[in-house]
Amino acid sequence: MEIGLTHYLVISAILFSLGLYGIITRKHAIMVLMGLELVLNAANINFIAFARYGGMNIEGHIAAIFVIILAAAEAAIALAIVLNIYQNFRHVNIDEVDDLKG
Amino acid sequence: MMDISDLIKSISLFKPETTLIVTFMLAMILDMAFKKSKNIAGYIAIAGLVIAGIFLFQQTGVNYKAFANLLVIDSFGQFMKFIVLMSSLIIIVFSFFSNELHNAHTKLGEYYTLIIGMTFGMFLLVGSANLIMIYVAIETMSISSYVLAGYTREVKRASEASLKYVIFGAVSSGIMIYGISILFGLTGSLNLFEINQFLSVNNVATLPLLLSGLMILSGFGYKISAVPFHFWTPDVYEGAPVTITAYLSVASKAAGFAVLLRFFKTGLLDSVPGTSEAWQLLGNIDWHYVIAVLAVLTMTLGNLVAVWQTNMKRLLAYSSIAHAGYLLMAVSVMNDNGVSAVLIYFVFYMLMNLGAFFVVQLIANKLDSENIDEYNGLGYRSPVLAVCMTVFLISLAGLPPTSGFIGKLYVFSSVINSGYIWLAIIGVLNSVVSLYYYAKIIRNMYLRDVESAKTKLVFSPVTIAIVLMLAIPSLLFGVYFTPIVEWANYSMNIFVGN
Amino acid sequence: MDLITIAFYFFSALTIVFGAVVVFTKNIMHAAFSLLFAFFGIAGLYVLLSADFLAITQIMIYIGGILVLIIFGVMLTTRITGVDVKTGKIGKIQIGIAGLLTVLIAATLIMIFSTSKWYLADSKPLDSTVNEIGTALLTNYLLAFEAASMLLLIAIVGAAFIARKKH
Repeated sequence: MEIGLTHYLVISAILFSLGLYGIITRKHAIMVLMGLELVLNAANINFIAFARYGGMNIEGHIAAIFVIILAAAEAAIALAIVLNIYQNFRHVNIDEVDDLKG
Repeated sequence: MMDISDLIKSISLFKPETTLIVTFMLAMILDMAFKKSKNIAGYIAIAGLVIAGIFLFQQTGVNYKAFANLLVIDSFGQFMKFIVLMSSLIIIVFSFFSNELHNAHTKLGEYYTLIIGMTFGMFLLVGSANLIMIYVAIETMSISSYVLAGYTREVKRASEASLKYVIFGAVSSGIMIYGISILFGLTGSLNLFEINQFLSVNNVATLPLLLSGLMILSGFGYKISAVPFHFWTPDVYEGAPVTITAYLSVASKAAGFAVLLRFFKTGLLDSVPGTSEAWQLLGNIDWHYVIAVLAVLTMTLGNLVAVWQTNMKRLLAYSSIAHAGYLLMAVSVMNDNGVSAVLIYFVFYMLMNLGAFFVVQLIANKLDSENIDEYNGLGYRSPVLAVCMTVFLISLAGLPPTSGFIGKLYVFSSVINSGYIWLAIIGVLNSVVSLYYYAKIIRNMYLRDVESAKTKLVFSPVTIAIVLMLAIPSLLFGVYFTPIVEWANYSMNIFVGN
Repeated sequence: MDLITIAFYFFSALTIVFGAVVVFTKNIMHAAFSLLFAFFGIAGLYVLLSADFLAITQIMIYIGGILVLIIFGVMLTTRITGVDVKTGKIGKIQIGIAGLLTVLIAATLIMIFSTSKWYLADSKPLDSTVNEIGTALLTNYLLAFEAASMLLLIAIVGAAFIARKKH
């Protein structure tokens, strides 16, 4: 069977679900961020695959580029915040950072 | 492809945002230049916001698709931008009087700079008509707000707030971009106008459209803290500096609702004209019910959980979730009356919610606590403040003769006019529940600790004047509300082109 | 099987297997390095989709930038020599629910993806996408491009502020 759009979409679906699983089950903040990167990459595979099979639509490539840019900015901010948490709590496990409750 | 005359016109219509960018740079540079002056960046921010406001005012009556359809300039956007602008101004003024911020830092340069950056992001979000532009704008405002939420970074609860905010925010925007990618696959375009055209000509499979719509909603729902995307709200509102909490509860919600309305009207509405009728939606999905269910969940959860809260910031956080539910009710009817109701509600919501948060900030300045018991006997310890707080709370509860009542009146009448009686009944029941916890604070202020010999609380005349400047309009608009209603009716038409 | 098919299955296997390692391994350093291979596999898929510029961007920014950032984050917040490298996990029941949910989501997505009618058009792959992307970024997406630069400035100011040493 020739490789078509559906093949890429299935890879993207699996990657998205893996990312979500990581986000739900991980306690370590950086591990959650890694799961998030998988989700963003799954979205990018969709964009590029749809662009390729939708008449080489360059908009999909533009979207993917912006996703990569914003992922970098978000990762920088998130890691700065995680470092700050580490200085205050001496660990970065999300479920143990729970002074706020009610 | 964009031609040069379009570009020149677009740039001339981009003046408010350009002003904000220049302000951002100036505030940053001058803050470094004048090391002694603590609030210099704040003064520059105020000046920049005022100039941006003047440019924004000049755009009255303009309807234009700028930057090759990336951005729409219309009166709806103008209205929402004014809400964002006003709340940014008010928040910067609040920040001058915040002990919490001034104790943590000797200088607040980055603080005011990032508020301007966030305002810029919200201005973009309000006008965006392209899914990628929406994503960029949401991230611009989010990234500034993540930092602002943890601005007092040595305080444990503030750093915790920013961690929760960034994790939940990043996840919800990740899910949103996945939804956008599916919508792109269905329609072959990222532009809301083109998506609209494609949907009105072609028959699109229902299931993927529903899925992508829900995923995109998770990004918007996060910004307006709608259930089930609200998890972050109480923790972030409690942990963040109170000025930022107030800011998130008004400005960020306004931008979220603006993009939600524009997404539905520009992207999913059948372009057959029918102004006061319910919008005809494309693609076989009844989005009315999806939004109505979200509205019911949001206001019910917000109100029920708020009843148990003992921390004022947390209580107001749940109350703001509930208010998002009322607003979603007006969105769910999806006609121009609903849009107008959202606009009217936001003006009043801005006044009363910012006012309530400012009182919380002033009390926390003096007593270093946000516990609800600290308000015992406030009616005798600081009569003026207590009266103002009572006005804000009555207004939030939506009782006459305050402006909150008028706002609720328009929301409910738009819902009833569209025939969603059941939704209106649930809304009214919710308002009754909300009365309980707002009244609890008023009771604490006037009926508790009446005899106690607690010292009087003295506030500086300037702060009292600011509180009055928010409380008097809250009352006044309850009686004389025609100008706001007329302005909202003028602005309710979201520009969809031609 | 032709070369394209073999390459597709190789890169997808690389992506999925190492993606799975990222979310299942207990060792955070293993997760970070598996992410590298997953990103590399995705870059390979981009090449197969004739997105040459994106493939290079993926390698340069994701692997060269974001991943290095993440590894720095790991090293600054975990005691590598101690037992802390192994990160905690939540209870068995929650894992079960999360796993079930994930399988459900994956099944739904695959079902929708394989049955839906997508926007399709005939296309011949371009020799290079760089030209098209550059033109689009500076015409139709000019505003998004400029807004992104503003966003990066905000991110730099914010990150520098938050991570700065205490005084």
